Amino acid sequence: MTAERLQLQRAVVLSQEEVCRDTFLMWLSCPALVRGAAPGRFLMLRCSDGLDPLLPRPMSYHRFRDRDGERQFAILYDVRGRGTLWLSRRRPGDEVLAFGPLGRGLQVRPDARNLLLVAGGLGIAGLVALADEAVAQGRSVTLLAGARTAVRLLPPSFLPPEVEVVYATDDGSRGHHGPVTALLPEYLDWADQVFACGPAAMFAAMAETLRARASRRPVQVLMEERMGCGTGICYGCAVFPRRGGVRLVCKDGPRFDLRDLF
Amino acid sequence: MDLRVHIGGGKRGLVLANPVLTASGCFGNGIEFLRVFDIQRLGGIVSKGITLRPRLGNPQPRIVETPAGMINSIGLQNVGVDAVLRELAPIWATWSVPVIANIAAERVEDYAELARRLDEAPGVSALELNISCPNVENGLEFGSRPEPAAAVVQAVRQATGLPVIVKLTPTAGDVVAVAAAVVEAGADALTIANTFPALSIDIQRRRPALGWGSGGLSGPAIRPIVLKMVYDVARAGLGVPIIGCGGIATWQDAVEYLMAGASAVQVGTATFFNPRAPLEVLEGLQEFLRQEGIEELRELVGAAVSAGQAKKVYSGAEG
Ligand SMILES: Cc1cc2nc3c(=O)[nH]c(=O)nc-3n(C[C@H](O)[C@H](O)[C@H](O)COP(=O)(O)OP(=O)(O)OC[C@H]3O[C@@H](n4cnc5c(N)ncnc54)[C@H](O)[C@@H]3O)c2cc1C
Ligand SMILES: Cc1cc2nc3c(=O)[nH]c(=O)nc-3n(C[C@H](O)[C@H](O)[C@H](O)COP(=O)(O)O)c2cc1C
Ligand code: FES
Repeated sequence: MTAERLQLQRAVVLSQEEVCRDTFLMWLSCPALVRGAAPGRFLMLRCSDGLDPLLPRPMSYHRFRDRDGERQFAILYDVRGRGTLWLSRRRPGDEVLAFGPLGRGLQVRPDARNLLLVAGGLGIAGLVALADEAVAQGRSVTLLAGARTAVRLLPPSFLPPEVEVVYATDDGSRGHHGPVTALLPEYLDWADQVFACGPAAMFAAMAETLRARASRRPVQVLMEERMGCGTGICYGCAVFPRRGGVRLVCKDGPRFDLRDLF
Repeated sequence: MDLRVHIGGGKRGLVLANPVLTASGCFGNGIEFLRVFDIQRLGGIVSKGITLRPRLGNPQPRIVETPAGMINSIGLQNVGVDAVLRELAPIWATWSVPVIANIAAERVEDYAELARRLDEAPGVSALELNISCPNVENGLEFGSRPEPAAAVVQAVRQATGLPVIVKLTPTAGDVVAVAAAVVEAGADALTIANTFPALSIDIQRRRPALGWGSGGLSGPAIRPIVLKMVYDVARAGLGVPIIGCGGIATWQDAVEYLMAGASAVQVGTATFFNPRAPLEVLEGLQEFLRQEGIEELRELVGAAVSAGQAKKVYSGAEG
């Protein structure tokens, strides 16, 4: 981050598509917001024209592409409340205010050949950019994707074709019947590194599995917590490491080592 | 153009280069924003609340959004005064912008102890006493009535030669009375105000939305109410500068506070949704003064106070 860099930017909406029920893919153009952006980092999006809703919403960088002579980025989001509902009503050509990139992104070891990605629900939003990058670098990527039910799963066409995808649903409507973490043992030995994004319960189950198997695989997770500022000044996004102390998701994360937190 | 604000007198009196500060707990410890904008341009930076011992703060969730505002229950997460002296103050000492140390405690002796410890610290230009934090046990106790508030100020006054700013709580039944009492006890300035105790319920889970239960309301939603408090205290003519703080997001908001009698302002929650808000408030204010042909900030301070008084003669009280 260089001086005078972090400020509200106007991003232009390029497209808005409902990829599955209540889940939207939005491509945006704003050179200042992609400079320094990387898989696992995030931006803060204002979700109103005025002061209500007041706080910006954190969103992961979902994908990047080079088109029309510039680098563009996408967010993938669920309509959850007032802010994301407002966002879902933006149309191509509209502008949204945002600042970023923020936080610490995912880190792939140079020698890691096999990457295992574990996504719970819309946690997949923050992992696809990593898959894109890894595939382009010639690494092998397997994605374990879990959701409540089949219609909530992101269609494979929204992933790079080289990625092997294994599904799990809570209701058994597609793939493994049960939590996605149940698939973990099968792939753990294959993976050089594991990256996960999803609810805290999923992280806890993963940590349990790793401990039970005395696995020493390095696992990075992307944490979510309520955010006020995204810039480390409000202390709203605190998480409490197992060994004590307190960390901020927006500044020390959102990438953490799984075992530090769970 | 003279934008200076004087806080306290004598050898250790503080002169702010301009009237725009950051509010405690809404700008980390300043260090976080070194690479975001040139923080040295601000009038002052108020630290996160400092306590004697480190505090991890409250459980999650710590923040909930409300109409044009937010409720927080951070719980005074901070590294404690020892680490402040060891790690933060030496950095602050290298800045041209003055840093005001915001302190909080649960006992009068602890306020005094904090003041003593910070007194000679290079890098600390003044103290701001938080006698009004809604997010710790007994946090509001001192600030709600004149006598306990004055007791804290007296003890701190004896412990330090630094300028002492007292941050008032909007929960004081009679804000003017508390203000008068702390000025009498030796306060050099008043910050008006802290957050409003507030609650939000998570209706799905049938429990308070914040982990701690209730919290403090801030943001544009509180601005007109705090503005009235500043106005009321200004009309009491206590003879110390008032620092207005509550919902300021634009330079127009700051001008309102100045006209209501504040000599300076703090920008808090606005920095969360616009990282450059404090700087934009300052730049907008400077432009406004230029356009109005105002040479000295002082000409603006309280401009609306006398006008309001005149009107009151024939229109009676509010309502
Ligand atoms: C680092 C990070 C990256 C994220 N990336 C994505 C993403 O790529 N796609 C996506 O759909 N969602 C993502 N989220 C969650 C997303 O920010 C929330 O779903 C969103 O803020 C909800 O806003 P709302 O107005 O629709 O909901 P409301 O319920 O109206 O939100 C009210 C308040 O709660 C906050 N809030 C609610 N849920 C969350 C949550 N899970 N995390 C943080 N704050 C929350 C909001 O920011 C807002 O301040 C991410 C969160 C974090 C912390
Ligand atoms: C997240 C958060 C943390 C805060 N922490 C402190 C604190 O540590 N000490 C203090 O005196 N005030 C604290 N405050 C209160 C602010 O300094 C300010 O008085 C209040 O937010 C009103 O101003 P605003 O509406 O501009 O935010 C905090 C406010 C917020 C929102
Ligand atoms: S969101 Fe404000 S400190 Fe992390």
